[in-house]
Amino acid sequence: MSTTALSPALAGKRVLICVGSGGVGKTTAAAALALRASVDGRSSMVCTIDPARRLANSLGLTALGNAETRVPATALEPLGVHPRASLYAMMLDMKQTWDELITRVAPPEQRERILSNRFYQSLSTALAGSQEYISMEKLWELRRSSNYELIVLDTPPTAHALDFLDAPNRVLDFLDNDAAKWLLTPALKAGKLGMSLFNRGGYVMRGLAKFTGTEMLQELSNFMLAISSLNEGFRERARGVRQLLEDPNTGFVLVTSPHPERMDEAIHFHKMLKQHRMEVVSLVVNRVHPMPTEALWADAATLTPSRRAKVEETLREQQIMAEQDRTGIAQLQAACPGVPIVQVPRFAMDVHDISALWRTGRYLVGDETLG
Amino acid sequence: MAGLLDKRLWIVSGKGGVGKSTVAAALALRSARAGKRTLVCEVNTQERVSRFLERPEAGPEVAQLEQNLWAVNVRPQEAMREYGLMVLRFETLYKTVFENRLVRQFLRFIPSLQELVLLGKIMFHLQEKLPDGRWRFDTVIMDAPATGHAISFLSVPQVLIQTVPPGPMAREAQKMRDLLVDPAVTAAVLVALPEEMPVNEALELHAALRDKVSLRTHAAVLNQSFPERFTEADLEALGGHPELLAVAQAHHDRAAQAVLAGTKLERNLHAPVYPVPRLFTPEFGRKAIEQVMEHLEPLVTGAA
Repeated sequence: MSTTALSPALAGKRVLICVGSGGVGKTTAAAALALRASVDGRSSMVCTIDPARRLANSLGLTALGNAETRVPATALEPLGVHPRASLYAMMLDMKQTWDELITRVAPPEQRERILSNRFYQSLSTALAGSQEYISMEKLWELRRSSNYELIVLDTPPTAHALDFLDAPNRVLDFLDNDAAKWLLTPALKAGKLGMSLFNRGGYVMRGLAKFTGTEMLQELSNFMLAISSLNEGFRERARGVRQLLEDPNTGFVLVTSPHPERMDEAIHFHKMLKQHRMEVVSLVVNRVHPMPTEALWADAATLTPSRRAKVEETLREQQIMAEQDRTGIAQLQAACPGVPIVQVPRFAMDVHDISALWRTGRYLVGDETLG
Repeated sequence: MAGLLDKRLWIVSGKGGVGKSTVAAALALRSARAGKRTLVCEVNTQERVSRFLERPEAGPEVAQLEQNLWAVNVRPQEAMREYGLMVLRFETLYKTVFENRLVRQFLRFIPSLQELVLLGKIMFHLQEKLPDGRWRFDTVIMDAPATGHAISFLSVPQVLIQTVPPGPMAREAQKMRDLLVDPAVTAAVLVALPEEMPVNEALELHAALRDKVSLRTHAAVLNQSFPERFTEADLEALGGHPELLAVAQAHHDRAAQAVLAGTKLERNLHAPVYPVPRLFTPEFGRKAIEQVMEHLEPLVTGAA
């Protein structure tokens, strides 16, 4: 029995963050890792972002919400294993987490003003990077306020790797924006925007207003004013998040599928993580097609001609898919030298019950291997 | 059923990783072959269409790939510049305002502005005319972002109309919206795989486009479908070969999933579903795109 790089990480890290493009199986990988760690004796929490209820169901929960929920022991019964530590799960509701954060950091008299502002609405739901930011913020909060030995974070399906790592900076820029201050401060002081059109930013402001409309600038200045009291708190938290991401007890698990396009993104992602000095514990290549064995071909040769033809065609197709996957994985390995790669096979059906999660975990830690 | 060739703007979307760009490339090739001057627009992404068609990358400026076929990768910075120049009219004014470092930083935070200029550039090309009065492009194909992003991207005109005071932005948004909701101009093609999540996302996307954008789904493409191969009798006969049975069963399950997915899509979208079989080619290039194109023939021409 072999072990993978994920095995010591599950035993030793305090935080694992699953990253990768959309649709590659991050949520499954995150849940499988936390499940495995709890069975092996470390109390664990998986924090996912999957909007589907399926993960919740597979963990024996009717629904997952924005609160930590203990996975009932009965859910694990079909596995025939007895977890030696507790397993918790939660599903991050982005909007609610933002609202909670504001409620926590804003002075009471400012809360309503912020929560109802249009710019806040777009910050908490639509601003690129805000989902990534809030998921890391939640991670930091969980790490600080709870005693789980391991927290596994699933991350939002990011369009670009850069959005993810740049998220804290972008959100901080938003909250503490020199440009906005420079342009709007005279307006803030005077209590109305019209003033600043004749002030230091005047020429520029008039051009901008032509572009966006004056009302929009007015509303933005209101928002800036309302949140200016929060900046120090946000900055401090952002520093905390960054420290957590660079902590030696934190590791990244980069999940991908063997599809060439996904591979390109994984390679790019890996480069970004390296540049930010963040540790990639392992690359997980999900849904790999296994190569049909010689024995299968030999067995097929004994079938009646029409069945043999059908089976051999299927094997040929599998072989092509397996070869494509192999080529992709070799390219991935060449592009990310020194990073261990773990392969998880494509299971016959979609992964969405506890046994399939468990089985995925067995491949992740190396109890079972492909090829 | 009207074919896509009757429409001018073809919007391709769906869950990430389902093959949107593959379908967009195949449709673009077919449109160009029908003699339509065709522009395929990718939206701020790693360019794929030009690569699939084995042509050099187009980049942020419209570039001709081959006869009747042009491509562009619509990126925020260039689109913002074009838009800014359009609104402010003067290069010097544009420079003063938009090339101010602080202003650039500031503009990143105006909600939907980036989407507005990206969509605006695509809609601009849709309305662009040649000196002789003909459309510069007969067909514009938008390889749109994936589900969630696509919804917010395509809702931008509607959202702006509701929130922005009258002015240049509002006028632009109104023009864009009128084109997007006109079924004589625009057709949305949703791409899915025969798996639960991509199908569910296609249904969500369909509902959101209908409710938020007033955009009707023209058709769905069920990509990478496995055709049925093994009969029940075949599977029974393989009983004595457990490993081969597993291989056959897996294929059989995937084929069954494709049938189920197709039925679910058709029933909920009230639109035709066109399956494209999983291709088994070692290289995914132009040849593969041409194969996909053949399977999409009835979608493009409207022939049964």
